[in-house]
Amino acid sequence: MKTIRLGTAILAATMLSATPALAQDAPDKVTVGFLNLVNAQLVTKNLGLVQKHMPGVEIEYIKVGGGGDMLRAIAADQVDFGGLGNPPTAIGVTRGLDITGIMVLNMLDYVEAMVVRTDKDIKSLADLKGKTIAAPFGSTTHYLLLQALTDEGIDPAEMEILDLRPADIAVTWARGDIDAAWYWEPNLDKAVKDGGHIFMTSGIMASRGYPTWDVGVVMNDFADKYPDYVEKFLAAECEGIAYWIDNPKETAAIIAEELSLPLEDATRMMHGTEMVPCDKQITAQYLGTTGDIGQFADTLEATAEFLVSQDRLPKALSREEFAAFLKPSYLEAVVGK
Amino acid sequence: MTNPRKRALLLSSFSVALLIGAWVFVTQTGIANDLFLPGPVAVGQAFVKVATKGYQGSTLLEHVGTSLYRILVAFGIACIVGIPLGILMGASRDAMALFNPLIEFYRPLPPLGLYTLLVMWLGIGEESKLTLLFLAALPGIIITTIQAVHSIDPVYVRAARVLGASRRAILFEVYLPAAGPTILAGMRISLGFTYTVLVAAEIVAATAGIGWMIWDAAKFLLSDVVIMGLIVLGLTGVALDLAMRGVGRLLMPWTR
Repeated sequence: MKTIRLGTAILAATMLSATPALAQDAPDKVTVGFLNLVNAQLVTKNLGLVQKHMPGVEIEYIKVGGGGDMLRAIAADQVDFGGLGNPPTAIGVTRGLDITGIMVLNMLDYVEAMVVRTDKDIKSLADLKGKTIAAPFGSTTHYLLLQALTDEGIDPAEMEILDLRPADIAVTWARGDIDAAWYWEPNLDKAVKDGGHIFMTSGIMASRGYPTWDVGVVMNDFADKYPDYVEKFLAAECEGIAYWIDNPKETAAIIAEELSLPLEDATRMMHGTEMVPCDKQITAQYLGTTGDIGQFADTLEATAEFLVSQDRLPKALSREEFAAFLKPSYLEAVVGK
Repeated sequence: MTNPRKRALLLSSFSVALLIGAWVFVTQTGIANDLFLPGPVAVGQAFVKVATKGYQGSTLLEHVGTSLYRILVAFGIACIVGIPLGILMGASRDAMALFNPLIEFYRPLPPLGLYTLLVMWLGIGEESKLTLLFLAALPGIIITTIQAVHSIDPVYVRAARVLGASRRAILFEVYLPAAGPTILAGMRISLGFTYTVLVAAEIVAATAGIGWMIWDAAKFLLSDVVIMGLIVLGLTGVALDLAMRGVGRLLMPWTR
């Protein structure tokens, strides 16, 4: 029964997309892929803000495990809106995915961090030699781990770096199979509470010139068809961000509910990530403005160059090409209203 | 029409050529986005690059070797456990009643679901990978072995008994030779199934293996490496299957 319904849905979807004549002013359905991390998207989702700004449109939220999975969800055209950290963004843009960056979802501070086992006596990055370290490959934290090692002149081949997803890291940590891991909340907390302490945070790396962030992206097809709805989406997310900034107590309660966490954990995790008010997002430090794209393009360029040096990307694009991926005009319209 | 063997070869070559032709066509004409389906040339270049320079620290040969080691060890153990167990279950109702519920229960479980549990129990090393592959290989072998034993003409067994054959002699002189071809067919299917689980087994904490290479490359949207990996995987699968048929022909000359 279920397969039949799914089949019809797919059929209907293909028929709809194949007949541009039927294109309406409003989409029937909007699919939002969100990363399982602590940011204002949880608030927007919990308060039903996207629904509020798009009455009559069916809103579907899909939880995605990490940047690599999100990249595939986008490549397979399964979401209309998504979120990506800078390494997956650099990969996606270089590989020519039809996406546009439209907002700053969050800046990553200590919500992402490297936890080390306290009894292993790890005092410096050099002490990681011969140890087993986990990070989700292709994510912001994998990038920062390799970058941090490279900066100190340590060969990553001197340790075992394993590719594990955040939930698997938590399990593996509990078993004692790994000595360190660089990943993010809500799972990070489990390792900290179980014999670990924070050794390095993404915030520290940001102060060393390697900011990591998540950017909200829209599929170009969707943006071309329904530009108004991109603005409606941004209006909803901006409302979520404003709510986060203005109502920290209520926000913590929402995060605790969304992620099934104790309130105090949710409160701490909230402080580990930085929400950028929407009017600030269109300044030089972030997206910049139309015609004068901000520092996000520089981060993407640097990330891409790094990925090329790691043999994960065939070529690096120029800053101009990354700047073309960012389009602050939707946000400018929302903020200007 | 002349030689049926020649005809079969011709038809097979035709279907392979058709597939490659279609591949060239959709990539050359731009019907397929080369992000998702790179052309044969790009895949060939990926092959040369990974074979000579390697992918993330291991050469293609090392990736294939790691995966083949995992598959063959797991499959070998599955045969050592599964064939005797299958014969036992086929010959004895009690053994059947004892083991069948367990096998029937875990057989349809999705490998990835099972794997999360195996990682918790056995960790991220080789043990959990080998166990997953072993569990994937086992039911097929057991079930076909049971089938093979059931389909043995009871007259053979009775005749052997009347002639005074020992239990051991009945096993080696009657059961195994009669059931051999079906068991071999089961092994071939089971090996194929083990292959389908390989990528799942190498998702967690692997740093080498052809399945891991495919998984990792997909994360970075390196679809040329993904397709190249799948082709290599497919070809090693075919080679192993041919080897098994060859061994079967050697061991059981009466089948052909």
